[in-house]
Parts: sequence; C-alpha cells; structure tokens
Amino acid sequence: MSLFALDQAAREARLLPELVELTEHHRARSPEYARLLASLGHLPGRRYDRVADLPWLPVRLFKHHVLKSIGDDEVFKVLTSSGTTGDVSRIYLDKDAAGVQQKMLSATLSAVIGTKRLPMLLVDTKALFKNRTSFSARGAGVLGLMNFGRDHTFVLDEQERPDPDAVRAFLERHGDQPFLIFGFTFMTWLYLYELAREHRFDLSNGILIHSGGWKKLVDRAVDNAEFRRRFTADTGLTRIHNFYGMVEQIGTTFLEGPDGGGLYCPEFADVIVRDPHTWAEVPVGTPGVVQVVSTMPRSYPGHLLLTEDRGVVHGVDDGAWPGKRFSILGRLPRAEARGCSDTFAEAAA
Amino acid sequence: MSGKVVERFPAGGATDVDDLVAALRAVPAGGPLTVGDDRIVEFLVAFARRLLRPAVARRHPELASLGFFLRRGEIARALARVADEPGQLRFPRGLVFHVPPANVDTIFVYSWALSALAGNANVVRISSRSAGAADAVLDALGDTLADADDVVRQTQRMVTYGRDDAVTAALSAAADLRVIWGGDRSVGEIRRHPLAPHARDLTFPDRSSFTVIGAAGWLAAAEADRDAAALGLYNDAYWFDQAACASPRAVYWVGDPASTGAARADLLSRLRRVLDGKRPEVDAAMAVEKRVATYGLAVEGAATAIHFDGNDLATVELAGPDDIPRRWLGVGTFPQARVDSLADLAPVVVRRDQTVTHFGFAADELVAFARALAGRGVDRIVPVGDALSFAATWDGYDLMREFTRITSVVTR
Repeated sequence: MSLFALDQAAREARLLPELVELTEHHRARSPEYARLLASLGHLPGRRYDRVADLPWLPVRLFKHHVLKSIGDDEVFKVLTSSGTTGDVSRIYLDKDAAGVQQKMLSATLSAVIGTKRLPMLLVDTKALFKNRTSFSARGAGVLGLMNFGRDHTFVLDEQERPDPDAVRAFLERHGDQPFLIFGFTFMTWLYLYELAREHRFDLSNGILIHSGGWKKLVDRAVDNAEFRRRFTADTGLTRIHNFYGMVEQIGTTFLEGPDGGGLYCPEFADVIVRDPHTWAEVPVGTPGVVQVVSTMPRSYPGHLLLTEDRGVVHGVDDGAWPGKRFSILGRLPRAEARGCSDTFAEAAA
Repeated sequence: MSGKVVERFPAGGATDVDDLVAALRAVPAGGPLTVGDDRIVEFLVAFARRLLRPAVARRHPELASLGFFLRRGEIARALARVADEPGQLRFPRGLVFHVPPANVDTIFVYSWALSALAGNANVVRISSRSAGAADAVLDALGDTLADADDVVRQTQRMVTYGRDDAVTAALSAAADLRVIWGGDRSVGEIRRHPLAPHARDLTFPDRSSFTVIGAAGWLAAAEADRDAAALGLYNDAYWFDQAACASPRAVYWVGDPASTGAARADLLSRLRRVLDGKRPEVDAAMAVEKRVATYGLAVEGAATAIHFDGNDLATVELAGPDDIPRRWLGVGTFPQARVDSLADLAPVVVRRDQTVTHFGFAADELVAFARALAGRGVDRIVPVGDALSFAATWDGYDLMREFTRITSVVTR
C-alpha cells in the first residue's frame, strides 16, 4: 500500500484534525511552545478551518532553542543538523519517535524501491565512517539510507577518488537485476555520472535516490530536467528520484515521482507555499517560501515548519501521484545584519 | 614575512605593508602635521562639499550627515576642545591604525577625519565587503585629492587586505594608537597583536541602545512634533537595519497604563504612515529573521505578545522592563515595556548600553536620570531622531582628546 495515494481534499480532511490534536499535544507538554502560541494569540480551543491557518514555526528556531514535548528522562536520541552557518538544530526523540521515523522513511521509499533489500551503490566514500566520534551530516545521511540496501559498494575510494573497478565489479555481480543507488545530488553528478559515461557503465536496472539541492551544480547549468535527461541518455538510468526532507521534520520525505514532474507528499504530510510579504498561501504556479507539514513529530513541536527554502507548487492532483506536485527552487539568503559589529566576520563565510 | 595591502585611498595597487609604514612615518616635505593643520582642514572642507552635493546626498542620506559634520564651523568647534592652554601644548599622537566595522559604511570616515584633524598619520583598514556609501566616500576622497597638499597623500591611507595576521601585526606594532570598532569579537581578535609599549587601544565593543518616551509628554506634544518623532524613530531604527549600536532595540513607555496605551497607539499609527511612505525594503530573509528572533523571545518567556503589522513593523510586549533583549532582532522590531518613572529604568541599565533616545521629558528629568545611572552605562542621551548623529564625543570618549597628547611646559 503506497503512501502516495491520497488526493488533496482527502489529505486536508485527514490532516486538519490530526494537526489540531498535535498542536494541543505539544502545547500541553512543552511550556516553551505553549508560551509561543499564547504570544501569537493562538489560544486553546481556537477553531481552524484549514491546515494553512495553523501556527507555523520558523525552522531556525530549533537552532537557537530547545523545544521538546518529552521529559528529559525520555530523551532517547538527539539529532543534529549541520547548518552552513555553524549553528545546529537539535531535535529530541524518545524511543517511539526514533522507531517511527525510521519506519516512515522506509514506508515512503518503498513506493519506489519496493520492500526487498536491494544491492546498493553509494556515491560516497567509506572514509566518511572512519571517525566515529565526529559524524558529519553527510555521514549520517548515508548511514540512514544504507539500511535499505545490501552488499554496499562505494563509488569513491578512501582518498575520495572515483573507483571504476569497484563499480564495474558491482555491476558484474548485480547489474542485471534491480539495484539501488544513493548519493547527494552534486556528488552523484560529479562522480557517478561522469564515471559511468566515461566507462560506458550500464545503469539501466538502477534506482537512483538522491538529495541535497542543486546549488553546487548551478554553475554547470545542470537542473533536474538536464540531470535526468543526461543520466538516461548516457547511462540508461531512468528510475531517478530526488527527495527533500530535513532533520527538523524527521521521518518525513518528499519524493520525486516516476514522472520526474516534481516532488510529492506522503499521505501524512503536505507543503504550503507562502507569499513572503503577506505569508498567505500563494496560488499554484507562484513561487514562495515553503512550509512543510507532517503529523510525524510527536516528541517535539516540529509538525508545522516554515523552511528557509523557496519553492513552487506546479499542480494539485494532476501528476503521477495525487496531492501537490512541487519543486524546491533554492535557499533563501541569510539576512545580513549591518551594524557596528563583525569587522572580522567577513572572512568566516 | 610581511603582507600586502591594496591601497584604496589614495587609490593604488598592492603595496608591501612595511613600505606603507615607512611612508607614513616619514616627515612630510612641508613639515610635520600639527593639531588642526591647515593642509588637512582644507582637504576635509573640500571633501565635505563633495558629500553635500545633491546627487550624492540623495543617494546616500547618511553621507549628507557626514558632510555637515565636517563643515568649517564644526571643525573649528572640534579643534577648540584641544586648543593649547598656558603651559599645555597639544600634539598629534603620531600614527593611528583604525579598524572600523564592516557594516556601518560611514563610521570609518568619522574616526579617520577626527584623527586627521588632530594631525595624525592614519591608516584605515577598509572592509573588502564595503559597498554603496563606502564606495561613494572613497570616490569623493579620491576626487578631492587632486587639489590637495601632498601631505594628505603621504600621511592618510585607506587600505583593504584579507584575513592577513601579518598585516594586522605590522600595523599594530607601528601604531601609536589603535582604534578598534566593530564589537567584542573584533576587539578580542585584534588585541592578540601587540602594540608598542607606549601605544594604547581605543576600543568600541558591542553596544546596544533603547528609546524612552514619556506618555504625558507625548500626548501633550503638537501634531507636527509627534510626526517628526515618528520620522525620527524611523531614521534611528531603519537606516542601518536597526543594527547600528546607537539604533534603539527597545522602547520604554513612561507613565500610567492608560496614557502609555494611548501614546503607543498614536506613535505606532504615525510610524505606520512613515513606513507606508518610505517603504523600506524588508526581504523574505529579513522577514524570517524577525520571526525567528521574536518567536525566540516568546520561547524564552521574555515576550508575552508578538504582533506583526506587515514585514516592516513588529511589536513585542516584554514580560517585564528589566529584561530587554539587547541582541539584534531584525529591522523594524520594537520590543516594548512600561515603567512608572524614568528612575525605574536605572537598575535595568548595564555597561553595554550606549544611546538613550528620548521624547516627552524635561531637561532636568533627563539629567536626574543620568545622575541615577552614575556612569554605570549609557554614554549618550539624545532626542529621538538623533541616534545616528555621530558626535566628537562617542562611547564616553572625547575623541579629539584621545587623538592628541599633551606636552606640559612649566617655567619657574
């Protein structure tokens, strides 16, 4: 049963009461969140007609404040995101939440990779895991996805150089059956695509899952359409799924459909694109700032988050899967404070 | 191993820092600079005239303020503070190394101009990120140089260099006085580089500021004065994205709940009209910044209510008067609290507080407030609208005195 089967009206009808209940759940358990709702005039018992009317939090709040709806003694795991600016989000999970997030990621991805563990090609280096104590976000991302595959093979050697022999051996063993490929978008392009084209590797049985944005590929004039077109033309790879998610809304993965026409929302989640001047929801086709919505976060109030990404909804109930079909267009720049400080901060970026 | 700098004024190419120091140290052909040296005064006056040209002032209103600051009459007033007295002769300190902030584009000019007026040779580190107003300043300086005495070219230098400790170390070692703007972090970074034993630092660390408004005074004021105050608050807060140290980061209302409520509503509606006319640019990133900052105050328990009137105006009710957020909250964010009297604010003030802008108080009330503070904090108490007017006394320093030294001559 795919998690990508709920049309927009059914989704809204299902999510609204769940999100209202979740808002009350967090209000009752997080004094900090309760204070915030009160200061914004969202008092208990308020009626909400639409998901878009519920109060959202800017995602960066989790970088500066502890917001959790579980007791200190129930904290099972603290997830951290690495921000480019050096400040880090801290997301608190209890045992339940940790279990659920892995289960939901698995259920979401099974829509495109099935439920069997497939042989897996990782567009990264094993050296990521050398230093157990300092785990990069990249390492955590790779590790999280490794659970979905078997016979893991790394495309880069320990010195981060492409390893054509390893890829060739992998393809000789598994290339005639479906196999899984995972990597960050820019690495997949720089290392796997280039390598496969140069060595004429046949990736036609592969299922590629990639994430991480296009920023590093902008100067190479590679966007999603070009990425897909050239992978298909030069390596035979057709099953390509970009995904979008963030540690602050753990377990929630927005996945590119088989049509390549955009990202779709699993049935427990949604996106709302907002006008950065009025913060009202914009019509289909109009770019704005992306809010992500998910009923997953129960251990911390991360169910309604305004991201720092720009995006656009291309259509609703009009694509390969039902619901909103959208793209992420890039990051909002970070607001620069002018002022008397930071003579020296200029070299930090 | 010495580093290279790029000369921005007088405009040139890359130069070795040791050659730069040697040139600055050499005695000028026309004789050493003196306090209030005519060659410098003429240069500054001609430079100010360029800044006051309508084309420049229209594009960069903050440069017009700078132009006014350097008019002949103002210069004479600044020099009068360091005039020779019987048995006390004033001389320049020597070589002054200025490290201005990266982001307030005009501070470096004030710092440099007063030091030049005091007769010092100066080297100013200009941020490589400088843009807009700072570039306009450098252009105006360059244009003025054509008719200036050669001594200006030799003794007054503005340079950029990347994060090069060798350059900072060389300039620090050569300086008689080092002037560090730009906050606690910069002061800490630069102070790692030793000065000569006789030299000293003049530091401008992180500061914050607030506004006080007497509700009775507000309600009694003429319409025109209230409009002017709303415009003044706009200029104080919005010119440098409310991030300048002198920009108010909180508004205190003084009076009973009813009159402060009425005064507040009146000020905010007038400020709204100003904003609708000025339409300050508050982009999505800044709008998000404001949400993060204000929501954070609520999470911490410092705020009890947050209200956004568009992206350009956010008001925050503080839980109490004694816990003002001194950090930057994004442009157009006004945390507010009420107190019964000015005296109630005295315990709130800390060393870091710099400028108090005021409206609706009599002079004796403000003096009494200053006495109650007893120098524990607050260096300037100025009318709303004057927060960003630079003065020769800044952060508690009389700058002309800091930039000069005294030789005593005692005869029997």
